[in-house]
Amino acid sequence: MSSWVDQTLFSGPDDETCLHLGSPVSRAELKREVEQRQSILEGLGIGSGGTVALRLAPSLAYAANLLAAWRLGAQVSLLDHRLTEYEVDQALTRLEPQAVVSAEGTLPGGLRAFYVVNDVAVKRESGRPAETEHSVIQLSSGSTGPSKVIARTASSLMEEIARYTKIDGVPQPGERVVLMASVVHVLGLVGGLLYCLHAGTELAIPQRLTVDSILKLIAASDKRTTLLGVPFHIELLAMVEEPPRLPQLKRMTTGGELVRSDVWQRFTSRYGVPLGNMYGMTELGVIATDLFGEHRPSLMPAPGLNVREDEGEIVIEMPQSPYIGLSDPSRWADGWLRTKDAGTVSPSTGLMTIHGRLDSQISVGGLKVDLTEVEHTLAVMPGVQQAVVVFDNGIEAYAVVPDPNDAAALESALAQRLAPYKRPRAIHIVAELPRTATGKLVRAQSVLKTAL
Amino acid sequence: MSAEVSPGRAEVVEMLATYGERTPEQVREKLDSLELAWLIHQVEQRYHAELDLDDGQILEMSTVDGAVAVLAKVMRQ
Repeated sequence: MSSWVDQTLFSGPDDETCLHLGSPVSRAELKREVEQRQSILEGLGIGSGGTVALRLAPSLAYAANLLAAWRLGAQVSLLDHRLTEYEVDQALTRLEPQAVVSAEGTLPGGLRAFYVVNDVAVKRESGRPAETEHSVIQLSSGSTGPSKVIARTASSLMEEIARYTKIDGVPQPGERVVLMASVVHVLGLVGGLLYCLHAGTELAIPQRLTVDSILKLIAASDKRTTLLGVPFHIELLAMVEEPPRLPQLKRMTTGGELVRSDVWQRFTSRYGVPLGNMYGMTELGVIATDLFGEHRPSLMPAPGLNVREDEGEIVIEMPQSPYIGLSDPSRWADGWLRTKDAGTVSPSTGLMTIHGRLDSQISVGGLKVDLTEVEHTLAVMPGVQQAVVVFDNGIEAYAVVPDPNDAAALESALAQRLAPYKRPRAIHIVAELPRTATGKLVRAQSVLKTAL
Repeated sequence: MSAEVSPGRAEVVEMLATYGERTPEQVREKLDSLELAWLIHQVEQRYHAELDLDDGQILEMSTVDGAVAVLAKVMRQ
């Protein structure tokens, strides 16, 4: 039996509220949920070195299955519940887990931050045991060919939790985190769920991702509360002209890109709390923070991480490659993880500053999307001769599709292949795509618009 | 003149445009969940209303037209 879950996450008192998903969940209740899933997974033959894929929306069932599989010593692949059947099939073929846990029936409509689901675990006869000792596997939108398989060991997760505990300004035992980011992705998973379970901090998730629901949840407890989310949530909350008095609110922390300075000003003056920023990656978790908003736009690398700048790119020391089945030296080489973020590290203060992406990855509501994946998927749809995908306040596609029937069917065809957050907001059908003098496709929005 | 009880299409588009500092022309017919959360809050502030939307209604609001229709129905009640 793997004991890191028990030692790192379950050591607090049984009667303490550790989660709040519509109603409080004590550690004892969570343990019961976990034990229940554990016996189901065990019944399917999952044990140490087994493999389980979770295709679950944020829910108590998700947390319970994840911890159950880990307690059994299994390797867990996390699949975002918004992925299409096609994307899930691709992932399962690639990963070949021995069991898949998914939700029965259809999920209720949008703007939910968590769900109540009936989870069903199914055995896959073609499944294979784990080939590595990693505990968690996540797929990332890839620029070419199949997506990257990012893997982390239990030690890597525990090291990240330990890093959090050493950062000044993180939520403390007895306090509360109101989480708006998805608990399936690294910020919400480690910075939210795992850190909170470890620290004895209550993790509360709003019913809905609306201003009303978020503010009511903050007000519902006297515990000192940290809001954890992505930049969109700052923008949303900063719009409230006269927010209610929330003396329990301690700070808001977000992962992802910086918000504009006027939004930052508005948020901090309206709520009277610091707005902290974090920088991290699925591969490694939290890398640098500025939880007091005092270094903005720079961040201080987290304790124990060696961060430097290499020819304008931020690189981080990481002895083992986080990727499975891929040896791409542009992502990891010689013990250094290449972030693909342009940035600088100040030799005098150690502060790092991010200047933007060096590849085509963008962020949609905190979810990373590689525009090249969208473009490649669009380009192979029936009738599409050429396609360019760009980002302009949203994903925009320009495509040459001579047959009107193909053009009309394009959107629904693409919806079979790409999760909603990866889909273009608009697909502009054009007669031809503008090219440079040397014949390269032009990606500048201003020029593309002239093709309409 | 009686005050409008719910926003019309132009007003919905205008409210959506304030997200991401877009022009109304840049607002697409399809709404993602972030735009929807934004719109709901804009409406609540502007109309001093508290919208209690069920899941079906939120699903219906995935387009500008759908949002206008649902708001008209809900806010008239």
